[in-house]
Amino acid sequence: IQAAWNLKTRALTEMVYVDEIDMDQEGIADIILDENAIAQVARPGTSLKLPGTSQGGGPSPAVRPVTQSGRPITGFVRPSTQSGRPSTMEQAIRTPRTALTARPITSASGGYVRPGTASMLTNPDGPFINLSRLNLTKYAQKPKLAKALFEYIFHHENDVKNALDLAALATEHAQFKDWWWKVQIGKCYYRLGLYREAEKQFKSALKQQDMVDTILYLAKVYLRLDQPVTALNLFKQGLERFPGEVTLICGIARIYEEMNNISSAAEYYKDVLKQDNTHVEAIACIGSNHFYSDQPEIALRFYRRLLQMGVYNCQLFNNLGLCCFYAQQYDMTLSSFERALFLAENEEETADVWYNLGHVAVGIGDLNLAYQCFKLTLVNNNDYAEAYNNLAVLEMRKGHTEQARALLQTASSLAPHMYEPHFNVAILSEKVGDLQRSYTAAQKSEEAFPGHVDTQQLIKQLKEHFAML
Amino acid sequence: MPEGTGALREVLPKQGTGGEHRPALAAQPAARSRPFSPFTGQLSMEDTAAMVLCKPKILPLKSVSLEKLEKLQRAAQDAAQPPEAAPPPSAGAAPPRQ
Repeated sequence: IQAAWNLKTRALTEMVYVDEIDMDQEGIADIILDENAIAQVARPGTSLKLPGTSQGGGPSPAVRPVTQSGRPITGFVRPSTQSGRPSTMEQAIRTPRTALTARPITSASGGYVRPGTASMLTNPDGPFINLSRLNLTKYAQKPKLAKALFEYIFHHENDVKNALDLAALATEHAQFKDWWWKVQIGKCYYRLGLYREAEKQFKSALKQQDMVDTILYLAKVYLRLDQPVTALNLFKQGLERFPGEVTLICGIARIYEEMNNISSAAEYYKDVLKQDNTHVEAIACIGSNHFYSDQPEIALRFYRRLLQMGVYNCQLFNNLGLCCFYAQQYDMTLSSFERALFLAENEEETADVWYNLGHVAVGIGDLNLAYQCFKLTLVNNNDYAEAYNNLAVLEMRKGHTEQARALLQTASSLAPHMYEPHFNVAILSEKVGDLQRSYTAAQKSEEAFPGHVDTQQLIKQLKEHFAML
Repeated sequence: MPEGTGALREVLPKQGTGGEHRPALAAQPAARSRPFSPFTGQLSMEDTAAMVLCKPKILPLKSVSLEKLEKLQRAAQDAAQPPEAAPPPSAGAAPPRQ
């Protein structure tokens, strides 16, 4: 009967198991009230909070869209990439937090309630294991059962405290010689936000038994403590002991990407591909880098590879369509986009595809089609700032200044981190003679993207004008 | 994705005259007095900034973990919604577990 119980427990856990290494949903409260930062003002290139200057080169915001945290769009999204590091409370609330909806999670514990309802899903008549009546000490003494039970409590029930109790008892029982329990305790501490304790546990587990997983967990702790350089060193040391380990190399590449060092990230992703040339994340990231570096044909090759591997979703076909168009392979373009539309699972994806179709339409000169595409984007997703901006540009071409201005207003309020709406407002205002507004808008554009030559020229012109008065 | 840094508007005179006499490049190309320049005949150059479009978006691919998470969240949402007449889903709506 014990075996059956064991099996059922593990089966239930497996249903909702998400690799802890990836799981990293940070709640707003955790970010804003983060006391783990070591230095008040970090030196550039040492903190994940400040994207810093793009020291690693890579395409500028003039060519590559930028997310809310100021970082360029990446080729691959994981549970943890969702969390940018917003500087103000308002921005924090606006950033989409959950994987699906745009509603923010208020704190980490709140976020995990959702997955915790898994127990409700699997057992409508009540939980399989009643935690409050469990005698943890008894289970701690039976290591095999204890391990299955721990995983169940941790992943299925999301009850970190009980899990921690169990783990602590089990470790004691194993006389602190079992590295597995140390890692589990470390995971519990991580969930509870006790990062330094988690670090200790992982380090001691590493001393006992060198495992790649432990290295990954420890690196996660360092990243949460905003110590990317420590994490990088850890990975590099790990690579000495586990040469060629794909997860470690991938970890390094991700950190470089987070720090906006695109060229190093690309280098490491290439290393990943040398070791494992089916690694989806690396292929996707390198592909997007090539696309934005003006090499759509090479990007096309990468995305074609993904297709060969059997990846079959809306995003891939959208990217294929874009690359085909810009690589001048017009036969594939529209059918790829059609497939993308067919595969879109929700309205946000549909909006993205229509937006890119709008770009294709602009490229072929069919401005009516472009207009319709951008309008369709907005139908599917009312908050699509880029579509508003592009619609404004089209309206300007038709001469509808007031409408353009209204659209730009919406765009800039929806996405203050983008420089395009601000720049366009500046141009618009300058055309009609409203120089003051033009100047303020140009300032905002410069803030968002200091390297934009046209903005600088415009500001210079306006300054000369004002000096003359 | 090629994008120049600014739109260049050249003002070219009509029919290449505008008061300037272009040398006839006729019989002997070797005897050309001055090298060809695309700016020959140009009167003035205006560097007007044009409005910029936002860039096409390469959509990031989702990782397996993310897809599983989304699936779970969706299932939880669906499970939570139908039993509206029934007592509220106790596990889901309960205060966050301590």
